[in-house]
Amino acid sequence: MVNSKKCVGCYSCAQACKNQYHQEPGVVWRDLTPIATKHYPHRERAFYSLACNHCDQPVCAEVCPVQAHVKREKDGIVVHSAEKCIYCHACIDECPYGAAKDNVVLKRAEKCSMCVERVDAGLKPACVLGCPTKALTIVDLATLDNPKAEQYPPGFDKHEALNPSTRFIRPMAPKLALANKDS
Amino acid sequence: MKKELKKNANTAVCPFSRRGFLKGMVATGVLASIPAGILRANAWERIHYEGKYDIFRNACPRNCYDTCSIKSYVRNGVLDFIEGAQESTFTDGALCVKGYAYPRRVYSPDRIKYPMKQVGRGTGNWKRISWDEALTEISEKILEIKKKDGSLLGMALDKYSGNFGITHYGVEGMMSSLGYTSRFVGTPCWPAGIDAQNFDMGNMWCNDPEDFVKAKYIIVWGGNPAWNSVHTMKFIYEAQERGAKLVVIDPLLTQTAAKADLYVRVKTSQDGVLALGMARHIVDKKLYNKEFVEKYSKGFVDFVSYLKEKVSVEWAAEQSGVPAELIRQLAEEYAKAEPGTIWAGYGLQRHMNGGANVRAIDALAAMTGNIGKEGGGVRYGHLQTWGFNYNAMVQKQPEGSVGYLGKDKIKSEFTEEQEGKAKYSDRTININKIAESILNIDEPPIRLLWVACKNPFGQDFDRPKLLKAFKKLEMVVVVDQFFNETVQNADIVLPSTTLFEEYTVNVSYWHYWLSINEKAIPEQYEARSDLQIAAMLSTKMNELESGSCTFPQIMDTKVWMEKEFNEGIYKYFGIKSWQDLRSGPKKAKLASSASWHEKKFATPSGKYEFSSDLAADYGHTKLPEYKVRRKAYDKFRVLTPHTQFGLHSQFVNIDYMEDFNKEPFVYINPLAAKVKNIADGDMVKVFNKVGNVTVKAKLTDNVAEDVILMYEAWFRKADFNVQNLVDDESSDMGSYKTGAPGVAIHDQFADIVKA
Repeated sequence: MVNSKKCVGCYSCAQACKNQYHQEPGVVWRDLTPIATKHYPHRERAFYSLACNHCDQPVCAEVCPVQAHVKREKDGIVVHSAEKCIYCHACIDECPYGAAKDNVVLKRAEKCSMCVERVDAGLKPACVLGCPTKALTIVDLATLDNPKAEQYPPGFDKHEALNPSTRFIRPMAPKLALANKDS
Repeated sequence: MKKELKKNANTAVCPFSRRGFLKGMVATGVLASIPAGILRANAWERIHYEGKYDIFRNACPRNCYDTCSIKSYVRNGVLDFIEGAQESTFTDGALCVKGYAYPRRVYSPDRIKYPMKQVGRGTGNWKRISWDEALTEISEKILEIKKKDGSLLGMALDKYSGNFGITHYGVEGMMSSLGYTSRFVGTPCWPAGIDAQNFDMGNMWCNDPEDFVKAKYIIVWGGNPAWNSVHTMKFIYEAQERGAKLVVIDPLLTQTAAKADLYVRVKTSQDGVLALGMARHIVDKKLYNKEFVEKYSKGFVDFVSYLKEKVSVEWAAEQSGVPAELIRQLAEEYAKAEPGTIWAGYGLQRHMNGGANVRAIDALAAMTGNIGKEGGGVRYGHLQTWGFNYNAMVQKQPEGSVGYLGKDKIKSEFTEEQEGKAKYSDRTININKIAESILNIDEPPIRLLWVACKNPFGQDFDRPKLLKAFKKLEMVVVVDQFFNETVQNADIVLPSTTLFEEYTVNVSYWHYWLSINEKAIPEQYEARSDLQIAAMLSTKMNELESGSCTFPQIMDTKVWMEKEFNEGIYKYFGIKSWQDLRSGPKKAKLASSASWHEKKFATPSGKYEFSSDLAADYGHTKLPEYKVRRKAYDKFRVLTPHTQFGLHSQFVNIDYMEDFNKEPFVYINPLAAKVKNIADGDMVKVFNKVGNVTVKAKLTDNVAEDVILMYEAWFRKADFNVQNLVDDESSDMGSYKTGAPGVAIHDQFADIVKA
């Protein structure tokens, strides 16, 4: 769940992931996408924190020739095993959300696996623990009961065939009282 | 959403297992000393929780409200990853974009590893030297100065807040242990507001920020916690969920403003005017708290007279840019809230009338009875938790030292006044006028400058003047981690340790938690802590001239850390020894989350002083009167607040950070850009009487039509420094508590042209 109302665009989630996995400079699994001014009136003041959407019908799992991407039964995490990767670029090319990242240094694809080993150890993913405003949370889609939760908020591409699992809460904009000039 | 990808025809099967390779390295114990490059390329693996990590407790020593408690995961002497400590309800498991870059910072390829000497200052011709060579060269210079001038007043220290680990006050101690020296005193940061709060209440003392949840009306005034105190936001959100209204008053539409119920754009530096306008309305409607003003304050009657004579809501509206109707509405909502709270940010006091702005805001809170209330108050900062021994700082000058014959006192907002009981003292200079001082001070001039925990070329004002001033210096020694701009202008750089490589203890000037900082990994390469450097310098000095330095030659930072604790700290935090902090940070045992809860103010009258004689002693008005703001000296106001990606010149240079923050920008209003024929993405030149900056433009109405915005930061690959546009004009207040006035950092102006 990406709560863009609470999100302050601080990039802690993005850096927490790098702190955990030490990806090469240039390889970023979780990043912030500023919401365009056509959807949110103030430039660089609202964001969607995005990584892998752990889709219901993940295209990466479908196209990978060596089954390096596998969707887990028990929790739906799409786990990537980078050591299996043969760098065919299929997932990198096919994922419309750009979740599969091209690591040109190690010559393989890489992707957020929702910190699967942290989850298995009973811990929160690095980005979830690392969010100072608690804007990122893990939710169970089977029991999620929040009328404000959306699958395709404005500015997030719709790919119904994939059925992404990420849910969003929209940001709010303030009422304004603006002095015209500073002088 | 999807980024453009290049088609790559190469496919390759990876020839060997990285996991196997890494395991082999672990087995031979080589891991700790392998170059960062290899570690980086093979670092991505699943985290193996089986086969435990060594856990250490650390604390971020940066100048930041949040001072996070950190939990560090080390394996085989290598820092693998960190988390925010979950024991602290303030840190609550999360750090920030800067804190999470620490593991990369420790092993950054461009970290300074050895003492280095620049052959020809500013040439970039650096060569590695040994510690012995470095310390010998420095010691010989110190002895030469002593011989030439008969004193060490020609040696100066420029230090501020690059590292707030309490033991780092050992750098001041190192200076004292050598003799009487020149000290840059004051603070570029928050002195005007400190003086203001001291005139009004006798101390700077804010509520526990965790009690924001109890507020019913919140004004975040001239501050941007969504960037600069991210951990406080959750408490503000909770207050909003409980029905509180959040109002943000700021010349910029900041990230915090975007989270408000109402954002009010005020004309820069007219916050005092706005507050006085609100106060006038509160008086008119008799919405002030009678009990508080009658029992606990002095001078309210005089304040009311002033308001009735000199302040009208209409006048305040015209001066502040906030409509009269809204001033009345804000005043009534704030006065009626039980309680209302105000966060007075540091931005609003970085002005020629900055202290006056804070006094007016304090007055608002006092007259409405919001001081001393849980969930209320005017929140600026506090030093309640800083009662350590400052053992490393207090050192004796060597026998026979000659110093300054004036009556200078070393003032600092963080430590007790150090008064020289001897007839000599150190020579104090305004830290905010370093360029001016170096150029003009004589008898003796400043010959040797020691810089630690500071980056004057990064943060100090009138950069062109500073470059000129440095030419006068005979030797510049800098203790640092990266080849930043000050290091580029130094003769010798000494590599400093990160927080993970030493013991110290940390507290915050905002929250009430205490954290131990353990040595999690060995000193990397030849890096040494400020304290160790002092000890090593002492050894070398005494080798060359017996008795020339009294600094204890203790290299174990754990010993220094232990010496800081005292009964007061133990009692305040309810601990028996520093060992109790190894299981996690501890919070002070507060009688109330509210500061001033007993309403016993530390002023001469013991009351809140609307009318302060002390303020008058320092050349200000007794009452929190309107003070005119600085007249514009050019067409656009230039605002240079902090970037969210760094703490001044720290972090922005880390390659992980560059993934999220590649280059600097200047933010211009579209109306202004149109007139200047500037499109989004164009390079523009920002120029004024001080200097100029060329940078890429972004258009946004987050800024007013005649304001331009740039974030102060050091980009290692860009020629960008906002200090080329900032002069060293002083703020009104700061001398009382910190020894020097502050700087009118946000009272700068410039013009722009397409480059």
